[in-house]
Amino acid sequence: MGGKRKNSESEGMEGDNDGKNSNKKMKKEKTEILPSSIKNKEKRSAVHAKLKHQKKLDKRKKLKARAAAEKRALELGEEPPPKQIPRTIENTREADATVCMPDDEELFAGNDADEFSSILKHDRTPKILITTCRFNSTRGPAFISELLSVIPNAHYYKRGTYDLKKIVEYANNKEFTSIIVVHTNRREPDGLLIIGLPDGPTAHFKLSSLVLRKDIKNHGNPTSHKPELVLNNFTTRLGHRIGRLIQSLFPQDPNFQGRRVVTFHNQRDFIFFRHHRYIFETKESKQSDSKGKKAKDAKDESIAKEKVVAHLQECGPRFTLKLVNLQHGTFDTKGGEYEWVHKPEMDTSRRRFFL
Amino acid sequence: MPRTTTVECPVYPPFRALTFDALGLIKVIEARGGVPKVVDRWGEPDASKCVLAASIDDRKTDPLLAVARKNGVIEVLNPLNGELLVTVSDFGNSSARPEDDAIVGLHLFRRQRLELTSRLCTLLTCTTKGNASVKTVDISDSPEDSGASKTWNVCASGNIACSQVDGSENYALFGGKGVEVNMWDLDKCTNIWSAKPPPPNSLGIFTPTWFTSATFLSKDDHRKVVAGTNSHEVRLYDVSAQRRPVISFDFRETPIKAVTEDLDGHTIYIGNGSGDLASVDIHTGIKLILYACSAILLHFAFLILGRSSFFWKSLS
Repeated sequence: MGGKRKNSESEGMEGDNDGKNSNKKMKKEKTEILPSSIKNKEKRSAVHAKLKHQKKLDKRKKLKARAAAEKRALELGEEPPPKQIPRTIENTREADATVCMPDDEELFAGNDADEFSSILKHDRTPKILITTCRFNSTRGPAFISELLSVIPNAHYYKRGTYDLKKIVEYANNKEFTSIIVVHTNRREPDGLLIIGLPDGPTAHFKLSSLVLRKDIKNHGNPTSHKPELVLNNFTTRLGHRIGRLIQSLFPQDPNFQGRRVVTFHNQRDFIFFRHHRYIFETKESKQSDSKGKKAKDAKDESIAKEKVVAHLQECGPRFTLKLVNLQHGTFDTKGGEYEWVHKPEMDTSRRRFFL
Repeated sequence: MPRTTTVECPVYPPFRALTFDALGLIKVIEARGGVPKVVDRWGEPDASKCVLAASIDDRKTDPLLAVARKNGVIEVLNPLNGELLVTVSDFGNSSARPEDDAIVGLHLFRRQRLELTSRLCTLLTCTTKGNASVKTVDISDSPEDSGASKTWNVCASGNIACSQVDGSENYALFGGKGVEVNMWDLDKCTNIWSAKPPPPNSLGIFTPTWFTSATFLSKDDHRKVVAGTNSHEVRLYDVSAQRRPVISFDFRETPIKAVTEDLDGHTIYIGNGSGDLASVDIHTGIKLILYACSAILLHFAFLILGRSSFFWKSLS
């Protein structure tokens, strides 16, 4: 009760002040009714809701004004006002000194000298060994069988109780080029370890959001053609190295007639894996008449009528990876040197990414 | 509104650092009160010329920089402009190919003032198989090696991983995988001291010897030695006291890749395999400052330049 009286008093005072300050700038009025300064929760939430509603109305007004301006400009035949670019976290990413530049000769020299160059230069064909952790159950085997269909020339061996360092030795003897270890936790695959051979780096990824083929609606069945590989957005030096590591898993001569594509898309340090079959179709665009009138004379009418579109059918698993650490040399967690380790103190900024 | 925090760019004391990488490039980084920048780059990117070890004789007049490369060649350069003065190949006259017996440690001895006019410099190298050799090289007009050399074997078995020469340049330290830290007198080429591993603990567990880096604690005293092991332990040895380590402490979980001493004689800087850098007061064993490094990094190489001690990482 006392609280109510106090607030009504303050409101009354504010009302008086408003009257006095109506001549002054609007800014001052806004600072007077900051919701965070009101102690009463009901009043505060009411003021906040009002502010939000006001903001929403302002936004809608701006949107309508923009749409109207664009429509008017199009009708008059003028250039519409330039479209504004939304601010995204990727747009405002912190400048990174380790981003690969196209004219960096040291990068190319480094690429020639690194562990993958022999595979990427077609000297060796990739041969992958897939294995699991010691206890593998439920979704693990299904995931492994799907991985075997995605990556050509991949072989699955049961883990048994072998030490990983010994497995590396055996794989080197049998001339494999990479080892993939799928780690399972609580009956769900949640880690991926990619070891390059003979003395390549070891990348440890966190695996999440796994969707198996049978759970994808309208999925397709992959063929055995060599897939095309799409690696998106691996910009920094570390990202480039990881990109080359992934590239060394797949054969370097894709069979385009097989129309099979595997995509590793990096966004905000998460690598999204997708596996599609695609087909190109030429579509007769029906809106060509109305647009044809406005189209410039230089444009050929036939092009305006036909468009080539690609249809994708997803097949194979879908999962996301996040790099946990990259170790130089084969698997040796205690004795090895780490090229990159994720430490929590690196996550200080929302706009800082490493891949 | 994006929540960004700006960190004030710290004011660095002016310094000049040389860094060496696995492509054989030598880069000069300078900071004059502002952000450090690469001002010069010497050499062409070539993986066979990967720099394995470096040493500098930083005098006011006519300084020299010696660089050991992967193809077995040792080059002596002028650190001011990168000009190649001498190339020494086939160091130590060993029959082993450079790939098998890579150079692990290199030290360029300081030249006395009297030798200002004479163009001689002395190099000490050590390879992984333990072949240490001291050679005098003439930097005259013809950039070819000549001169006497002394070679001896430092370890019977095992691999040498680190070597260091003390401030007075009479004693040298060697240590490695399966090789205990041992100190040699350079004039007489004799082993004057070798360490003993700490006793196995109460469970009888004994970690095999593997020293990854070692240094003398102070420039004037050759008796105190700090060594880092592959099992993330840093040990202080006193040559005059006993063969077992005097103090030993653990640092994180990855091998200690580099140890270097500060000029004050009781602080050391340690760097490990997962990119952590710390400075420790050796008297108390307390970590003074822990530096967080998150960039791509591999080997740590410590160089002491001029009046200020500085450290750098070399990317492999």
